[in-house]
Amino acid sequence: MRKQSFSLCAAIDIGSNTIRVVVAKCVPDGLDILEADEKLVRIGESVNATGSISQHKLDETISILHQYLALAKKHSAHPILAVATEAIRKASNKDEFLATIKRETDLSVNIISGDIEAILTFYGATYEMVQEDSVSGRVGVMDLGGGSTELVLAKQMQINWQTSLPIGSGWLHDRYLEPNPPTIADIATAHTFLQTYLAHLNIKRIPPLLIATGGSANSLLLLAQRAFRLDSSQSELTLDDLLRCEGLLCALPAEEIAHRYQLEAKRARILIAGVLITRAIMERFQLHTIRISSHGIREGVLLAYSRHGEQWLEHIQKREPSAPEKKSPYDEEFVQSGRRLLQERAKKMLAWHTDVLKHEDIEAVHKMRVASRRLRAVLDAYESICDPKPFKKIYRRVKDMADILGMARDTDVMIAHLREQREQSADAEKISINWLIKRLEDYRAQHQVELERALHALDEDTWLRQIDACLPEGGFRNGKS
Amino acid sequence: MAKARAISNIDAHAPTGRNARIIAKTRLEEMYYWNVYVDDPSNVQELHNLRIAAKRLRYTLEIFEETFPPESKQVIQEVTQIQEELGLIHDNDVMMALLRLCLYGHDSDAGGKDFAVEQQERERSMVDPGMLASLLDPHTSPSAEEREGLQRLLHNVQQQREERYDAFRQHWYQLREKDFQREITELLDS
Repeated sequence: MRKQSFSLCAAIDIGSNTIRVVVAKCVPDGLDILEADEKLVRIGESVNATGSISQHKLDETISILHQYLALAKKHSAHPILAVATEAIRKASNKDEFLATIKRETDLSVNIISGDIEAILTFYGATYEMVQEDSVSGRVGVMDLGGGSTELVLAKQMQINWQTSLPIGSGWLHDRYLEPNPPTIADIATAHTFLQTYLAHLNIKRIPPLLIATGGSANSLLLLAQRAFRLDSSQSELTLDDLLRCEGLLCALPAEEIAHRYQLEAKRARILIAGVLITRAIMERFQLHTIRISSHGIREGVLLAYSRHGEQWLEHIQKREPSAPEKKSPYDEEFVQSGRRLLQERAKKMLAWHTDVLKHEDIEAVHKMRVASRRLRAVLDAYESICDPKPFKKIYRRVKDMADILGMARDTDVMIAHLREQREQSADAEKISINWLIKRLEDYRAQHQVELERALHALDEDTWLRQIDACLPEGGFRNGKS
Repeated sequence: MAKARAISNIDAHAPTGRNARIIAKTRLEEMYYWNVYVDDPSNVQELHNLRIAAKRLRYTLEIFEETFPPESKQVIQEVTQIQEELGLIHDNDVMMALLRLCLYGHDSDAGGKDFAVEQQERERSMVDPGMLASLLDPHTSPSAEEREGLQRLLHNVQQQREERYDAFRQHWYQLREKDFQREITELLDS
């Protein structure tokens, strides 16, 4: 760190899984960390189960905060900044939770939005790169938390995209992966859910470098290093490393994992969820490697404070993409949003036309089918203000296309499931599964001919014109009956 | 499943956010119409209809998400999960129909007598006619050994269906306990 005047501050992050503290000497572009600690509390577990933070979790939180405040006091850190994230955002008793903390510890905790969380995490996870001047081009940061996952993309360290997904390792574990260890079917269900969810992420440009932060990401790195003897000075994980971790976490109970690889048992329980989320994000980003950073939101808080002083949170809030200059979509005239949405959704569906015809990736059929359903949902929503004649015509065409894509997709899925099942079956059963797969493949090949015929007959300009004719400027009718 | 209900009471020139709430509430009602069928796992068609209705609600919430409060994200996530749980059950139902037709659907099948005509008709309606023709092609009927394996496969799928149904029902009851329907209505009213 360059010689310049610094302030000695502490930051506490009350997350859905973990409560963390960092005490550091702070300057606007760097930190000299003196102390850092974390405790796994899993507040999110209680919120996922009942919607509120239990008394037990509150007591545990207060006890940990007393320890952290003592740590900060030991270094004469001032101020002590505290933020809370997803689980607290969602908890029905968040006001009572914060009031009790204030009363018991005199600590004021700011509940921050997912977008603010994403920005602060980005600051924290990348500041070392800035110090080392190793920043080039585009970079992404993923904060894999217990209740949410923040994604931030930046070019030359300028944030140009961010989102907060309400999916975290604790949440995914509680929802899909409770058995210890989880079954293959549990894993498959959770993975399918993630793939489906992430497929809808509208990412314009995928960064070549993704930095992951958060407790699960760091514990995964430790697990991989200890279990597979990876170089402990390296902070990168490959997809293969993750798959190996997944295999291990499916094979052994969490307690055994914790014992063998010196991890906290509570953390080991949710690690499989961390693997699945990380893997799904890497697949979505088409990345083979991910870099892990031990820094995150609390370092971001300290940097924001040293850059902006007492008004640090207000400054960050101004950076949010939903700043006041953006007009609320609520007020857009219904007929105008309808014309816009119909065109957007039709184009999205038609964009898959060529890929489906190529017949190389079965996911293309799935994507086009989902896009056709979304288009139908928009047509359903706007039906009462559309011109009935062109509406019926295009509705029929969209439905027919969805049906023909649906048959192709359903068959692809059946074949894929049967192939998976075949891998786990005895030889005698394999013969039967092969018989069934062959019948389905024969049918699928016939159906592809029909699908291609339908797609060749699909003229994109005509479709868009017909869609446009459904809902003329000003609306065909008012819709009130 | 019938086409989605057309929405009345829509003003073409009103703010999108206002109409979005009317549409979403209609889709919510459509979903909860099927609530009474949840307790019986043999309600194959009704559970499928519930899934379609959940999908329509989800898409409606997604289309107009920007006009709703941020909490709608959690609602969408929950509805998506319900839809996916029901989707997995439906996959099993179709596979079971397919396997039963393979086993007992051939005219010459001796075991066909155990496979009630009514049930066979219902299951035939779940499978595309082209696919059915490919499965029931007399030139490719399964051998005795293949039939035995198909029977075991059917048993496994049935078991998996039971597990998936239990997981879905448990989730549905969790939502019922926290009065999810009212939660969404209040969100749409805010």
